Amino acid sequence: MNKLPVIFVGVLLTFAASWLGLVVYPFLALGHMQSVPDEDTGGYFPPTLSGLAVAGQRVYAANGCIYCHSQQVRPAPLSTDIEKGLGPRRTVARDYLRAQPVFLGTMRTGPDLTNIGLRQADANWLHRHLYDPRSVTDWSIMPSYRFLYKMRKIQGWPSGDALDGLTGPLAPPAGYEVVPTGDAKALVAYLLSLKRNYPLPEAPMPPAK
Amino acid sequence: MKPSSILSSLNPATEPDSLASHERAEIDASTRGPVLLFFGSAVFWLLAGSLLGLLSAWKMTHPGLLDSMAWLTFGRIRPAHVNIVTYGWAFSAGIGTGLWLMARLCRVPLMHSRLLVSAAVFWNLGVLVGVLGILAGDSRSIEWLELPGYATPVLFIAYAFIGVWAVIMFRYRKPGHVYVSQWYLLAAFLWFPWLYATANILLVWQPVQGSAQGAVNWWFARNLLGLWFTPIGLASAYYMIPKVLGRPIHSYYLSILGFWSLAIFYSWNGMHHLIGGPFPAWMISASVVASIMMFIPVVAVAINHHMTMRGHFDALKWSPTLRFTVFGAIAYTVVSLQGIAMAIPSLNTLTHFTDYTIGHAHLGLYGFFSMMMFGAVYYIVPRLVGWEWPSATMIRWHFWLVATGILLMAGSLTFGGILQGLALYDPTVSFQSSLDYAIPFRWLRGISGFFLLAGHVVFATLFILMILKVGRRREGPALFAAPDDDTSATV
Amino acid sequence: MTAGSLLIVGGIVFLSGSALLAFCWAVRDGQLRRLKEAPRTIFDDDEPVGVPTDRFPSRK
Repeated sequence: MNKLPVIFVGVLLTFAASWLGLVVYPFLALGHMQSVPDEDTGGYFPPTLSGLAVAGQRVYAANGCIYCHSQQVRPAPLSTDIEKGLGPRRTVARDYLRAQPVFLGTMRTGPDLTNIGLRQADANWLHRHLYDPRSVTDWSIMPSYRFLYKMRKIQGWPSGDALDGLTGPLAPPAGYEVVPTGDAKALVAYLLSLKRNYPLPEAPMPPAK
Repeated sequence: MKPSSILSSLNPATEPDSLASHERAEIDASTRGPVLLFFGSAVFWLLAGSLLGLLSAWKMTHPGLLDSMAWLTFGRIRPAHVNIVTYGWAFSAGIGTGLWLMARLCRVPLMHSRLLVSAAVFWNLGVLVGVLGILAGDSRSIEWLELPGYATPVLFIAYAFIGVWAVIMFRYRKPGHVYVSQWYLLAAFLWFPWLYATANILLVWQPVQGSAQGAVNWWFARNLLGLWFTPIGLASAYYMIPKVLGRPIHSYYLSILGFWSLAIFYSWNGMHHLIGGPFPAWMISASVVASIMMFIPVVAVAINHHMTMRGHFDALKWSPTLRFTVFGAIAYTVVSLQGIAMAIPSLNTLTHFTDYTIGHAHLGLYGFFSMMMFGAVYYIVPRLVGWEWPSATMIRWHFWLVATGILLMAGSLTFGGILQGLALYDPTVSFQSSLDYAIPFRWLRGISGFFLLAGHVVFATLFILMILKVGRRREGPALFAAPDDDTSATV
Repeated sequence: MTAGSLLIVGGIVFLSGSALLAFCWAVRDGQLRRLKEAPRTIFDDDEPVGVPTDRFPSRK
């Protein structure tokens, strides 16, 4: 163990083996997946995202949502994700084709969001939750994202965008309204797009009960 | 000058591996500028990182805390904390220690110190710009790699200087045996740029499509800990423990086994962070198997350190370096065995996505690596500045504050994490239950943060006092007095 | 099996095999000899085996 070449070559070779297996192989095998066509509608699975939802991914990344929320449904019997209602089926590699970056996440301080678009199809609820989480879920420890919103005086008529039914200490006083900024709208569009209830060849939907 | 050192100067071939005390002092002195610069940066980042960590912890129990501003939202200060303690504190302390060890083990004075000083400046610049970027909302949102794309090339340049320097030093070393610490350091210096470049290219510059990102992400993150920080920590332990005790490492054969089995198995572990995730089953299985095989290097290292210490545990009373280093070594064994357990799918079901993982991460990067670094700093700095540490009491306060802090943190999050995991697994209870179980343990974790911060303030004070030369002049260039004079020392 | 997978698996076999060969060479070449003296190389004439080199600073 005296010569630099021995250490160098040994270090290189042992490392290169795993680099091939865990980096190059997924790059080749998974990195060039294609979406599959949907015969019924002529679209594709996974569905493409609207421009607003793509912008929403950036807001999700900028504010670190992954540090509390995961986006993966694990299979039974290893986990009870499906039994607990996180989604109708497990997620597979192809589900993440449109994601940039891929928000798999490693923490469930908050609920998994893979199918939040299925559980909460109401944009207003999502806005209220982001603005003041504890006003809709009193046990939540999610921080408020009210910096993505603006509180302003109502000019004439209330704005069509304004959040409906806000309660609690952060609710606007009379004569004021809370409207989402572009970032907030993008984020909610992204969250609404999170649904994995379409079939894929490697992950068919379970038969309806 | 002693007769033996004159002899070795006359006839260097007789004792190629040993140094005369003036040679060693010269080597130490040559490392002063770069090492103190890296250590000083490390202390600064440690304080900044501890503050952000403390704030993040309390935001989880008090979500309304400072929640009106975007740059202080949990989702930004949490990655800022991680990147500061990793790329700021841990890297700088690790490089400072590595530089000094390289000079000592190459047995030549440090060359091209300007290269290293530039590296330190670039590195700190990169971390500062990167962390401010995260707070401004430019985080990449890729764990352990959140620094924005405009900061990472700066870090890469800084690292290139260090890598080049390491190769030159090794090339010009005095002939003789290459000690185990040096294999670990060289390996770490070779592995890191490959890791960092691959991760940046495939995740930031030319992102690979789809869930392959998860595989690359966790290959990188796992290897950052196992093939960069672990080798540096072990390099320090393999030098400090025998050097402080005056006893050679118990079994060199075990060191060789430990090094090569680490190299072979560690880099396959990455997928154990993604068990159950959207990947081909063979990748996950390969990682689980490799994780279990980690038993070999971990036990090899543990036996080696224990047998070297055996019969001399009373040394922990009179050596600050040994105290921190042995704590770190024990933590290394515990956290590695814990990690192996967590990789087993049936146990992973309970621990995945919970606070358990956070406890484990802190036990590793703090309980093992940071404590090792504290030990190294306590040994190295007096030999660079020529002064003793100004206060034994303060050193003891530092140790007990941070030891309490990390044990409280790791213990509370481990226990809380298991309860959280049981609730997450149970289909009959709501998500809310997992939060309810975790609450008291998150409070304890928050309290532990105060202990850690206090310990770091003490450490920073000691470091500043050393730089200002407040301590007593040392008796000689390399020797401390024998421990027999201080038998009444309190713990 | 696609050409890509063959390449990867072949690469892993080749690299791991080479690593093993390099290790065997190292053993035969005597890179791993002198295991008894090797741990003693960090000691010097004035920091020899048997003499500790660290302590708490004397109390002020």
